[in-house]
Amino acid sequence: MRRRVPHLLGLALLAFFLAFPFVYSANDYPYVMHIMITSFFYAILASSWSMLAGYAGQFSFGHIGFMGVGAYTAALFSHYFWLSPVPTELCTEYRFGETWLVVVNPIGVTSTTLTQDCLRQAMEMWGDAVQPTRMPVWIGILLGTLMGGVFGFLIGVLVLRLRAAYLALFTLGFAEILKATISAEIEITRGQAGMELPALFESGVTLFGHTFDKTDKLPPYFVMFGLLLVCLAILAWLAGSKFGLFVRALREDQDAAAALGVNTTRYKVLVFVVTTMMAASAGAVQAHYVGIVTPNNLFLLQMSLVVAMAVIGGVESFIAAAIGAVLIEVALEMLRNSFVIGGVEIDMTIWRLVFFGIVLMLTLRFARNGLIAPLIGYFTRGHVARETVEHRLHPRAEEAAAK
Amino acid sequence: MIHLAVSNVHKRFGGLHALKGVTFEVNGPELIGLIGPNGAGKTTLTNVLDGAIKPNTGTVYLNGQRIDQLHPYEVAIAGLGRTFQVTRSFRRMSVLENLYVPALATRRAADRKAIHAKAMEVLEFLTLGHLRNEYAQALSGGQQKLLELGRLLMLDPGIVILDEPFAGVHPRLMEIIYAYIRRVNEEGKAIILISHQMDSIFSLSQRLLVLNFGGLIADGPPDEVKRDPAVIEAYLGTEEEPEGDAGARDDATDEDNPTHR
Amino acid sequence: MEHPGTFWGVIAWMIVWGVAGSVAIRRRYLQHDLDTSNTTFVGAMLGAATGPVGLVPLWLKTPELTNRLIVLPAIGAVVLVAAAFAFADPDSNCVANGSFVASQITNGIIIGIIYGFMALGLTLIFSILGVVSFSHGEFYMVGGMLTYYVTVVWLPGINPLLGIACACAVVFVLGALFERMFLTPMYQGRIDRPVEYGILITFGLAFTLQYFVQAIVGSNPVKTRRYFDFPRVRLPSPEDPWLVKTSRGNLELFDTISISNPRLTAAVACVAVLGALLYFLHRTWTGKALRAVSQDREAAAIAGIDPSRMNMLAFALGAMIAALAGALLVQAFSWLPQVGNIPAMRSFVIVVLGGLGSLPGAFVGGILVGLVEAAGTGCIPDPQKAASYIPAYGMVVLTLTLLLRPTGLFGRRYASGAHGKF
Repeated sequence: MRRRVPHLLGLALLAFFLAFPFVYSANDYPYVMHIMITSFFYAILASSWSMLAGYAGQFSFGHIGFMGVGAYTAALFSHYFWLSPVPTELCTEYRFGETWLVVVNPIGVTSTTLTQDCLRQAMEMWGDAVQPTRMPVWIGILLGTLMGGVFGFLIGVLVLRLRAAYLALFTLGFAEILKATISAEIEITRGQAGMELPALFESGVTLFGHTFDKTDKLPPYFVMFGLLLVCLAILAWLAGSKFGLFVRALREDQDAAAALGVNTTRYKVLVFVVTTMMAASAGAVQAHYVGIVTPNNLFLLQMSLVVAMAVIGGVESFIAAAIGAVLIEVALEMLRNSFVIGGVEIDMTIWRLVFFGIVLMLTLRFARNGLIAPLIGYFTRGHVARETVEHRLHPRAEEAAAK
Repeated sequence: MIHLAVSNVHKRFGGLHALKGVTFEVNGPELIGLIGPNGAGKTTLTNVLDGAIKPNTGTVYLNGQRIDQLHPYEVAIAGLGRTFQVTRSFRRMSVLENLYVPALATRRAADRKAIHAKAMEVLEFLTLGHLRNEYAQALSGGQQKLLELGRLLMLDPGIVILDEPFAGVHPRLMEIIYAYIRRVNEEGKAIILISHQMDSIFSLSQRLLVLNFGGLIADGPPDEVKRDPAVIEAYLGTEEEPEGDAGARDDATDEDNPTHR
Repeated sequence: MEHPGTFWGVIAWMIVWGVAGSVAIRRRYLQHDLDTSNTTFVGAMLGAATGPVGLVPLWLKTPELTNRLIVLPAIGAVVLVAAAFAFADPDSNCVANGSFVASQITNGIIIGIIYGFMALGLTLIFSILGVVSFSHGEFYMVGGMLTYYVTVVWLPGINPLLGIACACAVVFVLGALFERMFLTPMYQGRIDRPVEYGILITFGLAFTLQYFVQAIVGSNPVKTRRYFDFPRVRLPSPEDPWLVKTSRGNLELFDTISISNPRLTAAVACVAVLGALLYFLHRTWTGKALRAVSQDREAAAIAGIDPSRMNMLAFALGAMIAALAGALLVQAFSWLPQVGNIPAMRSFVIVVLGGLGSLPGAFVGGILVGLVEAAGTGCIPDPQKAASYIPAYGMVVLTLTLLLRPTGLFGRRYASGAHGKF
């Protein structure tokens, strides 16, 4: 019976998050919803990272880089590809039936703002007569996800021979190169200024007979939550299938796993591809939700947050990592309020991160499986100790039963 | 019918000539002991057969399939399983999960239920049944050795190489390992047994291979090999050396260093 | 760039032959049962430098890879890149302007010495504890910050040397305390994956320290004034000082090479401390004990050395070296709580390039990385781009090292143990 408790709690959590946007109605509704969406975003990153680091033992510090690959792919796609009912005759364009796919050539770019491109020139000539439309958002998200997988595959192949510290350094290096490239290639990525993206539902959406504006938080809430559920479902399926067993085996002992028939190369690359695709999809959706991506999204701080969330939750359980991410994101937001003690203003926007770091270190030192994973373990693995103790108390009975 | 043909296998590591043209065959469910002084090339030979090391020249055929250029996992699926000198269980996985890995990897696997039933049967045989849900790291050294043997039963290869199965094992567990060897042999599988414990090897094996300085110096029934002057000179001449202790000592130093090979 | 097509064409050609060479030569040597430890590197470099011209004879003859065969192709590849660049962009500052090049190289070496010194701390920690410390950059930052606070805020007018000493002492104690509190379980075998634990726990420390400092000092950049003024020197004569000319904050050699005072004093101090460190490691009992532990922990323990205390000493010493580098550079760069991020990455690059655990490797690696960064910042046409790419230069070096020669320049191969495995 006790083993059912986590399932029931999980269902309760699911129901809570599904009902939350309808039940909650305080004044700070948009703010709270924003925090929830962000926490789901981190939950996707933390849980996929826990699959990579906790299950497969590949301590990659480039996870946030793959998130950036997804976000920037979506951003570049929505920026450079448009649909127009009339040919511009200025840009590179391809005809599909009655519409033209316009590839926007960046001409006349200045360092921070995109002042002129071929499509804008065409639009000036058209006046209001012709309205080009953006490509559907979901294609960008899909492309971002795929691109994340492609990068994950390449990095996965490159790091096959690297272990532990080298792997961490290499993946960190990947993220840094990516960030530097995005900051530097201003003509394409607009550098530090960042790229603007359309909202997830630019023209609004009608749900449950109610039309939501593009700034409403409810649709993106369910998109992000849905993505989180999809990711968790995939992770649960993988962890429960032979994939999960094999990647854990290769974490424990790669050579022994190979000697028992596990294709270690394939599973190592596969775990990279799967988890980086999740990170990339989260990045793409988040980019569309926030409406802007900048290279600062790839800062090491973000990676630190993901790692810390997964570790505090419990790196060897992706559910615990996801719950940890949600709790920590919410806690961090709640701790934002600065206060004054004895005339000294305590700037909590910074101090909360200090406390967070201390919690991370103490968790690592004293609770190596995190704070939430042992709770789950108490219910799912609690009987193991009892069995063994019973065996110790009545060894004869056990052996007799065995024979 | 199992058939393993090793012919003229050479392996050099830089200046060290670890294997010098090793040739032998295994036909059917033989129980073969492989002995030799430390550094004779036993572990290198195991690694070559297992695919972890590619030989410089020479071939290894298993049931007509060439396996010397394959990856270890392909060799395992082709039907050759091995244990390691130092136990290498998956420490942070439960005992049952340790057994599931090879069963699922072979792809011959039937449904999960069948695998579970077989795993339980194997655990009962190895007297580890009550520990099935414990992490492998909670097991004693000897029990981990048994677990490693259990994984081989789940892999179900046609030929099994046991590298020092008796080193550092309690006499009561030794009985189980003897039973294990008899069982595997009766199932129609070939066993290559590597050990420093002469009495066990001589009482168990039907045929002895003796390696010295990378070359096979004797191949035959134990009684004949015992009398072979080359063997006596190379190996049994140092009979006074405490038997078995060498293995136990190796085991002790290696335990501090789990990744040591 | 005038002919970017030419340049990128040459680079693509080099990459294609480099990849082909690294794969083919390694295969060939493996088949012929020869030592393959350098084959990837030599194959790639020779392929990049000469294309098929050099690869075919190497493939046919498979000679022993002597040091000359290792070094020459590498130099050839570098020269070829430089030549391609010079041809593609003949008007660039770093091709046409000789004095700029000389200045750039000198400054690259000088800053490289400081980089190497900082990386030394990281490699010292690694060789003894087997931990790659992710908090190295934060020790560097704390060292600089403390020096600033001691010499400028708390005790203005104090001799900067005292400020530096104070910063070093504080960070030494900090390092020792951290090691005692958080790293000890690693050696007692109570942790399943010690390498990952070491990475994560130092990562946590880095995070905590960085925000702690930011919470206390805020995020306005600070800087000390230079510690030491050059005396006025005019050589060979005051009228025509073509050899050496100094002002208080600058040194000019041969009328062309200009070196700023803070960097030069920092580099000189680094060399001096390096000498002291080498003396300590090779001549004193404690230093010898440290080296003994780095070579064989068990044997050292049997010989009466307490490895646990050596761990503490090594970590504290490594942290102190980083702090000293920071304390010396706070007079040259403006200081922020985030200032340690890039130097930390750079130190990783240097220790991997030099070979994890190798002290001379760290120094040579530092100078090489200094030169690469000088070349990168000097030669990329768009200065804004060049600045944005600064963190990437080192990472490109890291990637190439890990792909071509994972043991680094002076790396030893670790036969056993999880620490040095890659």
